[in-house]
Amino acid sequence: MATIDAAFPSAEWFEELVARATADSAAMERLGIAEFRLGCEIVLPDGARPLFGLVLDGYDIDAVGRVDEGTFAPDVVVVGPLEAWTEMVGWIEVNGPADSAHSLNGLSIAGVPFEVRAADAMGSDKFYRFMGTLQAVFDAAAEAPVPVATA
Amino acid sequence: MSLGLDLSYLERSARGEFDLGWLRDTDSEWGVRAVPSKTGLTMRDIFIGSYGEVPEHAPLRTMAPRGSDVDPDVPDMGYTINDKAEVWSDNVLDLYEEAVSRQWSATRDIPWGDLAPLDPDVEHAMCQLATVLSEVEMVAADFPAKWLWRINHDFVEAKMFLCTQVMDEARHTEVFRKRALANGGGLGKATAVVERFLQLILDADSYDEGSALMHLLGEGIVLSLFRAGAALSPSPVEQQIFRLCMQDEARHVAYGTMHLRYRLERDPSMADDFHAYLDKGEEIMAMIFSTPEIVEPTAILAAGSVEAACELGPAAGDVLRLQIVGDYLKRCSHAGLDRRGRLHLPDAIITGVPGAMAEEVAV
Repeated sequence: MATIDAAFPSAEWFEELVARATADSAAMERLGIAEFRLGCEIVLPDGARPLFGLVLDGYDIDAVGRVDEGTFAPDVVVVGPLEAWTEMVGWIEVNGPADSAHSLNGLSIAGVPFEVRAADAMGSDKFYRFMGTLQAVFDAAAEAPVPVATA
Repeated sequence: MSLGLDLSYLERSARGEFDLGWLRDTDSEWGVRAVPSKTGLTMRDIFIGSYGEVPEHAPLRTMAPRGSDVDPDVPDMGYTINDKAEVWSDNVLDLYEEAVSRQWSATRDIPWGDLAPLDPDVEHAMCQLATVLSEVEMVAADFPAKWLWRINHDFVEAKMFLCTQVMDEARHTEVFRKRALANGGGLGKATAVVERFLQLILDADSYDEGSALMHLLGEGIVLSLFRAGAALSPSPVEQQIFRLCMQDEARHVAYGTMHLRYRLERDPSMADDFHAYLDKGEEIMAMIFSTPEIVEPTAILAAGSVEAACELGPAAGDVLRLQIVGDYLKRCSHAGLDRRGRLHLPDAIITGVPGAMAEEVAV
């Protein structure tokens, strides 16, 4: 499997990411159900901040493209500069599933380079509750097929 | 004690004279057809009609399923928690389904074969952290188990969720014990200060008190430790362990937060009681922040070595400290309990946490 063709960040890139992650639906189902709306906000060098939505609904995962935060109503928005996002994605493309330093959790725990913005404590706790599924989605950016970690 | 054996019924039924009262005269809702949602038939799907009505106060103290036609002479099971607000949370049905769906195995789902030798000090730090976690996790099984049999069966969904927590915590105890013994190390030191905190939870006078201390405060701390553990893992093995435990722990914290919210919404006058519980719990929390067996292994894992951790000093643990206190304040606030400015924690622990210092709140 090659890297995702579409440019990052774009709605097409997130769509392809989710398509790859859900290609083995049985493997994703083993991770369990999830109810979560994640916004990925990429801060571009020109100051623009496109927001892309991912929706976890039961066993379904959907990339809903570029969204307006007010309308999309995410549980959590992960915000970070373009270089941090591309560094994370690029590392996964080359090396496979993210190590601690390149995981969503590792990159956000200190508030830099990723900040986790949640409307309330329940939102941020959901980010923790579904971390395995979220990471499995981003790990699907790997150039080589990625075995989905169970549970 | 008579169990009510009806010998005449045995004779009548042997002659084919069935009673059929249960078939003809049952006073429970009939014709219910719960519709599965897309993940299957969930607890929320069957929370319908009279079966979805949970009494504020349980009328009986019986194990009879809620909504069934209960014999008038059922025995009293002696439940002591008979008010819904004592255990309920608005998310408990969904958390139960999530828990069942996201179970994992510490034997099968951790890539134990990928463990690699670590620097001895780092291995020691990991084993010490695993010792503490293996120690503290089981109280989060013991506490719900201690109270489960006292909870009225009318609140069965809450009981079912607590059963999933018991299983989760058994698995956490298992996985950290396995990690300590799997890579050339072993168990480390168990400290009195940690044991005192566990005792505080286990000996709580009420479910309210124990739940606040455990679900909200204690598990909130451990959730942050899991999150830090996943971020600092020296190998994919520990990363997977901490990530899976983090998911479980966050469910327990979500229950505790929303349970407290449910409780306070129905009886705001209880806020003072909960403040008092947490005042006591935070004093122990402060002691944990000054316990070398917890602080130092975390700092060494963060820095990568003893020397680097010493050089970094408090900075090595700052991320964890800020997250623990910050997340705790947010959860309390979401539950309707404003702890800002009244934390029973020394300034050295709350410095830098927005809203934690009394002066900030006053301003």
